[in-house]
Amino acid sequence: MAEVDRRVLYWVMFIALAIPFISPLGLPVPITETTKAVYDKIETLGPKNIALFSIAGGVSAWPEIAPSMVAVMRHLVKREVKIVIWGFFVDQDITVDMIISNVPELKTKYKYGEDWVYMGYVAGAETAVAQLAADVHAVFKADKYGTPIDKLPLIQKVKTAKDIDVVLTVDTGSYILYYIRHWNVGRGIPVAEIGIAMQADMIVYYPVNLVGVMIGVRGGAEYEKLIGRLADGTIRMDAINVSHLLFIIAIALANIGYVMVRRVKK
Amino acid sequence: MPYPTDPLVLSGVWASVILTLMVYSYVLFRETPAFRFAEHTYISTSLAISVIVSYDTLSKNAFTPLSKGDLTYLIPIVLGLLLYTLPFKEVRWISRYPLAFVVGVGTGLAMRGAVHAQMIAQVLAAITLPKAPQPIDWFNFFFSLIAFLTSTSYFIFTREHTGVLKIPTKLGRYMIMLALGSYFGNTILFRMAMLSGRVEEILKVFGIIPWR
Amino acid sequence: MSNVLRRREIILFITGIVGGLNLFEYFFAVKEAAAVASAIRTWVVIISAFALGLGIITAFRVHISHVKRRTKGQWPFSIWLMGFFVLLTLIGLWDTKFIVYDWTFKNVYVALSTTLYAITGFYIFSAAYRAFRARNIEAAILIVSGVLILLRNAPIGEAIWTGFPILGEWVLMKGQVGGMRTLTFVAAVGLVAFGIRTLLGMERGYYGGE
Repeated sequence: MAEVDRRVLYWVMFIALAIPFISPLGLPVPITETTKAVYDKIETLGPKNIALFSIAGGVSAWPEIAPSMVAVMRHLVKREVKIVIWGFFVDQDITVDMIISNVPELKTKYKYGEDWVYMGYVAGAETAVAQLAADVHAVFKADKYGTPIDKLPLIQKVKTAKDIDVVLTVDTGSYILYYIRHWNVGRGIPVAEIGIAMQADMIVYYPVNLVGVMIGVRGGAEYEKLIGRLADGTIRMDAINVSHLLFIIAIALANIGYVMVRRVKK
Repeated sequence: MPYPTDPLVLSGVWASVILTLMVYSYVLFRETPAFRFAEHTYISTSLAISVIVSYDTLSKNAFTPLSKGDLTYLIPIVLGLLLYTLPFKEVRWISRYPLAFVVGVGTGLAMRGAVHAQMIAQVLAAITLPKAPQPIDWFNFFFSLIAFLTSTSYFIFTREHTGVLKIPTKLGRYMIMLALGSYFGNTILFRMAMLSGRVEEILKVFGIIPWR
Repeated sequence: MSNVLRRREIILFITGIVGGLNLFEYFFAVKEAAAVASAIRTWVVIISAFALGLGIITAFRVHISHVKRRTKGQWPFSIWLMGFFVLLTLIGLWDTKFIVYDWTFKNVYVALSTTLYAITGFYIFSAAYRAFRARNIEAAILIVSGVLILLRNAPIGEAIWTGFPILGEWVLMKGQVGGMRTLTFVAAVGLVAFGIRTLLGMERGYYGGE
């Protein structure tokens, strides 16, 4: 059993992931506290508020974070919150295009420059996050499309971190920590994480430094349920069910085999 | 949504699935020229996007202000260009100047943020009593506190973990394992979500599941 | 002159000053210090944007060397890599909305990016089957904790037994917090210690110093 070719295992996983898409299980996704906290925070916002949507994750993580991004953006648009978007990944333009194609209200209902802006990419990791907290206009002279900032009414209102009402950071790494260090600590700006599952260890900052944490595709599925619009996140949870069950079976088999081998050796 | 018919979209989705299968040929079969081709294509597209985005960002946020007369931008632009001496051994010493700025600023910022958010706030969170506590809240409070103290004791490297340190450090190891096990479980969610995304794409393009 | 400019003391001095200035600005409300620190941070943001191009130089050096040496099984791919990169870059610098560039990034880059990132899913499954054995108490705790989180994350856990998500949620929100808090705390202690050493010039690895 222990000597099975790894490729057999890979094929088992590949096929197992395909089955729930063909024949969905449709199990309900319970809502967890930390995702509800993000939802509740956005529910308190309205047309007079400005949310920062910070993209610190690349297209490579789309299957995990795209459902969450789209669901949160839909919620922001529904609440008519003003949105400033910027990010730290070179491929984020494709991500923003994806969000716009899934949330067409950004083009049809929102007016660019007044209701939302996309400032583009900024290099510098923690330095950039810290400098943006202190002086946004020192970092960005124009938006992604080359429009000077003095022609963008929304970004004219956003000079420092204090002009932002909530930071929603789409995170695959350390940027949530940078926002906590430089936006939340000392400035008190609420920060929420829309992260990959591996960012769940950020729970240690909840609720003191973090308003809420959305954990991976599960967080996305929960948020879709909260906004009443089931989409990719919910569909993908079926594959998660099967894959996780397979993992538990694999771990159980591995340990049963180990115990049996130990008994035989004794 | 119906299956796409536009030739551009259709060619795109088929190209993406063929490339996916080329990459997975390495895992499901063995290393093949198809995999090498896909791998090198990825590297070239990543490098291209880095150059284009870098140029675009610098153009808007550095070169344009400089061209409008703000000469202070000359300093970071020159320092940035000096970075390109890094790959060349003979002139590598020049790149130390911009690196000194980057490392200095990064270090200063990281330190000032870490003290409050990662040290003081964590200790405060560990010792803050629960509000309106139920018995389970008290249990959780003491569990977290003991876990925090014992795990931290595990990182005392200036004394041997014997005598009075023996039991706390052992308990600390168990608490760290509990945390790492949780991290492992979440890692699996991440990896499986990523994989399921690609499997879904393959099934959609082959028409096995409806196009959404 | 270049001998003077090569002196590591200058580098250490610059590092210490700019780092110290950012620390000073945080703890003392001095407007002039804040203004200078802010300007230097903006410089670093711009310098970091230049750093994106460094990877290309290294990549080209490696692949040009493969082509020169006609490395078996590699050199045609190196030519493809460099050629495709040059083509895409020229098109992108001209117009990022041009059909070839747009199509390539939306279909080729996205597919390859997500696929290569996802490939580790296979390996982690194989590792779980082959290596994840409860050889001792620590490993057993790790496995149990991991399994409870799996059953919390996947709704099927609740379908099997309603207690699984409750236990899993407890592990995530309370059980692991103490240990994770420690890892956060000690990482910060290490960061501060390393930072002090860097700012005082005791760490030289960042500039390749002896």
